[in-house]
Amino acid sequence: MRGPRASTWIVAVPMMALALATIYPLVFTANVAMKTRHDYILDRFSPAGSLNWDNVVTAWTSAGMARYFVNSLIVVAASVALLLLFGSMAGFALSHLRFRGSRALFLGCLAALFIPFQVIMVPLARTMADAGLIDTYPGLVLAYVAQFLPFTIYLMASYYSGIPREIVDAARIDGNTVYGVFRRIMLPMGSPALLSVGILDALFCWNDVLIALLMMPSAQHRTLMVGVTSLRGQYSSDIPTFASGVLIAAVPVLVVYLVFQRQIADAVTAGSTKG
Amino acid sequence: MPVGRSTSVHSAGAEWTDEARGLASRRRWEARAETPRAPRRFRGDRLAPYVLVAPALLIILGLRLWPLLLGVNFSFTGDGDRDGMPVGLDNYADLLSDPVFQIALRNVGLLALLLPVAVAVPGLLATFIFLRVPGHRVFRSVYFFPAVLSPVIVGSIFNLLLAFDGPLNSLIEGIGLGPVDWLGDPKVAMFTVVGVHIWATFGMALVVFLAGFSTLDPTLVDAARADGATVAQMIWHVIIPALSRTIQFVFVTTMIGMLTSMFGLIYVMTSGGPGGSTYLPEYYIWVQQGQMNRPALASAASTVLFLIMLVMGLVQIALLRRAGRED
Repeated sequence: MRGPRASTWIVAVPMMALALATIYPLVFTANVAMKTRHDYILDRFSPAGSLNWDNVVTAWTSAGMARYFVNSLIVVAASVALLLLFGSMAGFALSHLRFRGSRALFLGCLAALFIPFQVIMVPLARTMADAGLIDTYPGLVLAYVAQFLPFTIYLMASYYSGIPREIVDAARIDGNTVYGVFRRIMLPMGSPALLSVGILDALFCWNDVLIALLMMPSAQHRTLMVGVTSLRGQYSSDIPTFASGVLIAAVPVLVVYLVFQRQIADAVTAGSTKG
Repeated sequence: MPVGRSTSVHSAGAEWTDEARGLASRRRWEARAETPRAPRRFRGDRLAPYVLVAPALLIILGLRLWPLLLGVNFSFTGDGDRDGMPVGLDNYADLLSDPVFQIALRNVGLLALLLPVAVAVPGLLATFIFLRVPGHRVFRSVYFFPAVLSPVIVGSIFNLLLAFDGPLNSLIEGIGLGPVDWLGDPKVAMFTVVGVHIWATFGMALVVFLAGFSTLDPTLVDAARADGATVAQMIWHVIIPALSRTIQFVFVTTMIGMLTSMFGLIYVMTSGGPGGSTYLPEYYIWVQQGQMNRPALASAASTVLFLIMLVMGLVQIALLRRAGRED
């Protein structure tokens, strides 16, 4: 298919239609968010004449989206920080150090990768309740760290194992301890992987609803996604405000996607073509 | 990897590599630490690996692997009045006789039937993008975007679009078709939810396929083209054999995605209704655990879900292995 020929357009035109179908739902939602209730009932499709931010303000303030937004930020930031710290520590040890049980730990990590949350959520909720961690920030953060740590370790270990041993050996001869090598070599050299994995972990935590519903049941602790689900019932007759709430939850993801698309794709596809 | 060397997906010096290789060829630091030149570092360095893995070990053992055993054990105890008492297989008998769980299992069967479609669509699209259909760069970015959106956001948006008096129905009424109750008709709702799930996630599989294509030896494609192969022949004789590992990966991850990441969509779009027609095991577990206060029954459903995933994963790998050998 070098150069557009007639036959390539037979494929390209449906693909363009699909691309439109992929973008349109979000465009529609953004457009609805800018309309007044009255305009929305009269005509759902026409472009909103002017940018009317009243609905967004309503969703942000009286619907409580600001509160949920901050909750999500706190939980995501803490979870990602711990995931990257624990994940890179274990990834470094598994890829460059030899110790008793390393093979078993790596296999345990792989096995945990294939245990979905739904399978362990009942006993996990019990354990968390016994520990008094239900409906607390540390409880939800711990649940996220437990959920996404095997994946984080796996990706960090495979990235670190691509760092040549000669560099590590040289640092050892210069008198670094194992911790020194981790801090001065592995953390800086692994920063592209930390970025990719960190962004993907952040998206996972930001987008989650099941774990948050289970661990943070009370209204003032809602994360943004749980908040969006509650908005539906609250504003069932005020669709533009509901659409504004959806928009508030979607825009940060859109921005992250536009900036870090390549890193996200790298992290998603790591491990798919090797081995 | 049958064809080509793996290419770096990262600009920085290092690349994602197979972890097993790192494990096998690791330098032995303990031996070095025992040389008399560094006697004071000896103890610290020997402990260092354990210090580094300690948090991960505690979390994975305590909050992932242990709960799995706990849950299986829990599924053989009772709920309510019989809390904590051994009840044998009662929960499993309750499960299989519960019509809602039967629907959930039937829906899993439906997902398994739709799985080839959910793999073939992104596979074909990736092939066309790989063959540089006009606009291929834009297509990749656009198609991948919904995959990073939360099911809650996707479900909320489609709630608006698919409402009975919503935009999609007024559109199809405009071209003379009757309105469809996308989320309210028990015969239609499950297909709607699965359709939205595929809409939201096909970009993920597409990106994985494209990563596979980047490892494909371009001379193979050029040779096939020089021999006058059609696109269909190229897909069948060149691309599918060369990408067998990627295809296997996509099959397994897509299936896992269908069984474990549709909770948000179901929760937002249908709450399992109408008439329980959109239940999946994961939603059933959540309802039994939370609303119905039957955690032991939910644990039994969890165990069944785990077994389903195990069996489907093994069957797929076996099938694809066999297909790969015949080529």
